[in-house]
Amino acid sequence: MTGPLTILDETYRVAWGDLVYIRDNIGEVLVTCLVGPLLYLLAFGFGLGGSMEQGSSQYIAFIIPGIIALTTLSATFSTVSMKILLQRLFYMSFDELKLCPIHISSMVLGKTLAGTVRALISCTAIMAIGHLVSPDVTFDPWVFVVVLVAGFTFSCFGMLAGMLCNHTQRLNLFNSIAIIPMTFLCGTLFDVSALPDGASWVVYALPLTHVSGIMRGLMLDTGVPFDSVLILLAYTAAFFAACYWLIRTNRC
Amino acid sequence: MTPETTEKPDDEIIEVQDLTVRFGDLAAVDGISFSVRRGEIFGFLGPNGAGKTTTIRTITTIQRMTSGRILVDGFDVDKDYLEVRKRIGIAQQHISLDKHLTVRQNIKQHALLHKIPRSEMDARIDRAVELLGLDEYMDRLVDELSGGWKRKTSIVCSMVHEPEILLLDEPTAGLDTMSRHVLWDLVRTLNGRGTTIFLTTHYMEEAELLCDRVAIMDHGRIVAMGTVDELRDIVGRVTVETTDAEGRTVRRHFADRGSARTFAKSLGDRYYSMRRTTLEDVYLSITGGNLA
Ligand SMILES: Nc1ncnc2c1ncn2[C@@H]1O[C@H](COP(=O)(O)OP(=O)(O)OP(=O)(O)O)[C@@H](O)[C@H]1O
Ligand SMILES: [Mg+2]
Repeated sequence: MTGPLTILDETYRVAWGDLVYIRDNIGEVLVTCLVGPLLYLLAFGFGLGGSMEQGSSQYIAFIIPGIIALTTLSATFSTVSMKILLQRLFYMSFDELKLCPIHISSMVLGKTLAGTVRALISCTAIMAIGHLVSPDVTFDPWVFVVVLVAGFTFSCFGMLAGMLCNHTQRLNLFNSIAIIPMTFLCGTLFDVSALPDGASWVVYALPLTHVSGIMRGLMLDTGVPFDSVLILLAYTAAFFAACYWLIRTNRC
Repeated sequence: MTPETTEKPDDEIIEVQDLTVRFGDLAAVDGISFSVRRGEIFGFLGPNGAGKTTTIRTITTIQRMTSGRILVDGFDVDKDYLEVRKRIGIAQQHISLDKHLTVRQNIKQHALLHKIPRSEMDARIDRAVELLGLDEYMDRLVDELSGGWKRKTSIVCSMVHEPEILLLDEPTAGLDTMSRHVLWDLVRTLNGRGTTIFLTTHYMEEAELLCDRVAIMDHGRIVAMGTVDELRDIVGRVTVETTDAEGRTVRRHFADRGSARTFAKSLGDRYYSMRRTTLEDVYLSITGGNLA
């Protein structure tokens, strides 16, 4: 009875309210998702890149995949975690979810779908802009698959944070110890190999590093690092499983 | 009640056995056992913090229990939670609505979550909405509604999927007089169609008016349970109310009029009133600690 169609149908049912919100507030959604990445492009790509000896164009081609990778994180984590936290602690509407006769997998998929959709929308916009400013950047349909997987992974991470935190301040902790370091260190704005040895190991353990790696491989035609694909998928599975377990054991 | 039903009218649809729910050191629910019969209106009374909401939330699978066992229509709340969820609807004390969505969107979200077929969705929503006169508020954001309308929205949500068991946690708190009467009628109508109703309230007349049986909870335990008449018998059917020397109200309960009259005579020229014991008298007597 629990076919993939059931799960798909349930996922849509769970996500409906959040998707309606995106539809009705698309302007706000675009602004919140795009301003950050565009600032990075301006500040680092043109600002910093412009002052480099070999000129900005090479560096811009380098950071566009990085910024797209970054967007899969920035467009998902904070909105998903905040929304779950609000629905759990302030609206109490997360209870309604826990009360409905729906499979837990569908609950996790549904609650992260809006985040994944945000990632897709914002990354598509950034890609379009990237293509205009840097013709070196090519588009592979696989890029969208990676955005989908990465967006889903970081949405699950956001859901996890939203379920674990019992105050808004706790969420800031996630931001300080996970999100901000990933934003700057994970090969989004510079090559990770430039880091000192110890640091590069830490960075290698973080999921965003691998999203950047895969994205750059695809968009600059330098080949996709296979280990990165595996590590990213391991993170996807781990975050999904953690969300599943928290709901299943009613710990959220 | 559906006449073709083959069930015994008094079989138990909710069975709670030795339920304990702890929050850290505090036993919010402390080893209670009781059951709710199919088709009845069951009332849960008790002072603030007694553990009513915690019990209801545990029955509905939202709250984890520390120990004990709960069966809903024969299904274990821990193991067969999906089956349990198919059978229940709950309007929570802490209204659980998405404040950035409209009333209609909230009800629709609820209907979607409860797997109402898409073809029936609109008809069901219209039917439920009509019952509490929500029509003109349908396109307002929940955030903009007054407290009472939020409560009505959450009640409509709880029953849009037409559950077999409806749990209402303080459904009339904050409702105006008219709406309260509409809700009472609604509860009776739904019950008349066979829905089992489990409600909590702080209004004793409400419980007396609606409930087939009530349980009084205090400090995580059930201190009395039965029909209103049975509870009346526990404390005494006749109540004499008078004031003591400092002007405080004193109530004494008696098994019959005779002994009440004898007591009243002993009061000399103090004012008193003698009446049938109400549920409120029973409640005060039990939770006030007069009854050991
Ligand atoms: N999530 C929680 N964490 C810690 N303690 C809790 C939690 N929920 C309830 N409690 C405690 O459990 C006890 C029972 O609370 P509950 O809400 O069940 O009472 P109630 O009978 O519904 O009261 P009221 O009439 O005020 O609604 C209270 O002492 C309350 O402080
Ligand atoms: Mg309560």
